[in-house]
Amino acid sequence: MGARTSLVNSKSATLSQPDVSVNLGALRLSAPTLMGSGCYGSGEEYAPFVDLGALGAIVLKSVTRHPRLGNAPPRLVSTPSGLLNAIGLQNPGIDAYLENDVAKFADRPCAVIGSVAGFSVDDYSYVTERLAARDEIDAIELNISCPNVGTEGETFACDPALAEAATRAARRVTGKPLIVKLSPNVTDIAGIARIAEAAGADALAVINTVRGMSIDVDRRTPRLGNASGGLSGPAIRPIAVLAVWEVAQAVKIPIVGQGGIETARDALEFILAGASAVCIGTGNFTDPRAPLNVVAGIRDYLTDRGHAALSEIVGKANPQFLGVR
Amino acid sequence: MRTLDRSPAVHRTVVSDRREPVPGIAVLGLIAPRLAEMTLPGQFAMAIPPGGGQAATALGIYEAEGTRISLMLVIVGPRTHELAALPTGATLDLIGPLGNGFELDSLGENVALIAGGVGIASLLLPAQSLASRGKRLTLLYGARTADALVDVNRFSELGAKVACATDDGTRGHSGFVTDLLRALPKHAFSGIAACGPSPMLRAVGRAAAYLEIPAQLALEETFACGVGACWGCVVPHAASSVGAPIGLIGAPPQAAPRPPHAKRVGPPTREIADFSYVRVCKEGPVFWAHELRW
Repeated sequence: MGARTSLVNSKSATLSQPDVSVNLGALRLSAPTLMGSGCYGSGEEYAPFVDLGALGAIVLKSVTRHPRLGNAPPRLVSTPSGLLNAIGLQNPGIDAYLENDVAKFADRPCAVIGSVAGFSVDDYSYVTERLAARDEIDAIELNISCPNVGTEGETFACDPALAEAATRAARRVTGKPLIVKLSPNVTDIAGIARIAEAAGADALAVINTVRGMSIDVDRRTPRLGNASGGLSGPAIRPIAVLAVWEVAQAVKIPIVGQGGIETARDALEFILAGASAVCIGTGNFTDPRAPLNVVAGIRDYLTDRGHAALSEIVGKANPQFLGVR
Repeated sequence: MRTLDRSPAVHRTVVSDRREPVPGIAVLGLIAPRLAEMTLPGQFAMAIPPGGGQAATALGIYEAEGTRISLMLVIVGPRTHELAALPTGATLDLIGPLGNGFELDSLGENVALIAGGVGIASLLLPAQSLASRGKRLTLLYGARTADALVDVNRFSELGAKVACATDDGTRGHSGFVTDLLRALPKHAFSGIAACGPSPMLRAVGRAAAYLEIPAQLALEETFACGVGACWGCVVPHAASSVGAPIGLIGAPPQAAPRPPHAKRVGPPTREIADFSYVRVCKEGPVFWAHELRW
């Protein structure tokens, strides 16, 4: 199975809308746009402004084994072309989440991807198993790369052995599509990507936020309550495009490209680098219509160039792109 | 009587007028019929940057009458510069109305409005609403300097008694606006509605507790989404008083027995607190002072 199954003659693209659907493992999305974890709530927050049925998927806010208070404010700092955040995985814990929150995801008119964070291999296994067992959840994203919970959360994406163990542990407990979210804060992201692929990931999310800090020079303290945070927004887009480029040369599972995407042309950079789909996080904060504009712009781009399907252009700027199996 | 749908939406508005009542502060008038009709005192809107490339800006809705609303903005950075420079006839997309407004009926007959700086923007609609119901109003208004006090006459025209405080003493009391409050006897007002920077609001909350006056505070916070999705704008809040939000903290659940092969990185992270972090944009921006744990 794979995203690149369309063999439609490109001439038909002029007669009908190009096919922008995408497969992430067994997860079929009608649009190549995912809404980033922690940036879209559970979808209901944006439902008044956006037709959720036009989205590919919503990646829910990460849930952990135990409830988490989250970091002390301030949790946000605006930086040039970027947003620095340190939320700290505030969530009610898997028990309360399953009891109070998951049922309401049933009526979402797009795919719903649960996000799992943890502090031990056992956490990833335990939370993934319980969350993936719910019918409301179509797939699991393994957040092994949260930069805002001390060094613990991101350790999994930065240590090859732990990345492998966490992925394998989650793989063992669910047959649902498994997306592993990688950190850019590593020397060799392609190496970690290979490990996650070998450990059973169906797709990779590339990238999580880039670690950063901002200091108030008048008060002489870091601006964030957590001191350090994760940088998102257009400031990190070139970092993310390169990460996708490198990962696309290393693995044959689909990549979800993310980092500062606001427009279709931003998204196309990731797709041409080798991403099968894209994820929009901070871009929703600039304009909640961004995901709809991205899909419309991608369709126009494909139509203008005579392509019948998005899959035809995945990796087309990347000579060493391995392709999606 | 038809019911008014107050759910937020993206509204395309058109700039009708703009002025700079004092240097560095702009009031942007917008034709926005539905927003003008829907907005409750204390609610806010997110302005989508016309040029993109930066997060939307949260702004309190200053005026709402007929088909027109206005936004007050301090011109400080690229986002507010861009908004303040919009010419008449330009379009501006706004998400709103957002957040919960003031509970004006709970403030009694003799209400103090307390503003710090541009926080005044969130108090005109409450003042108009209270005045129309015959409440007695007092405005306590603090700013850096006399030149930064905006539209004081709009409040005195509503019958409000006005007392000002400036950091440099150029008008009214020389010092903080909260000094004016602290000088008053207990129960000097039946209720307080305040908006301003967090340090000022904390001081208002402390003074109000001492004077035994119920106070509602409209918080100014940095928002990313403004709609409750990102949990970036939180404030510590008495856990028991807000439904069951994400982050509600009780005793930690009993930890499951850990299998011997389980590898743990770092210590377990479990917090116990008598508060939870709630979203200023969603559960607020107006909170009862006594429910905040800050």
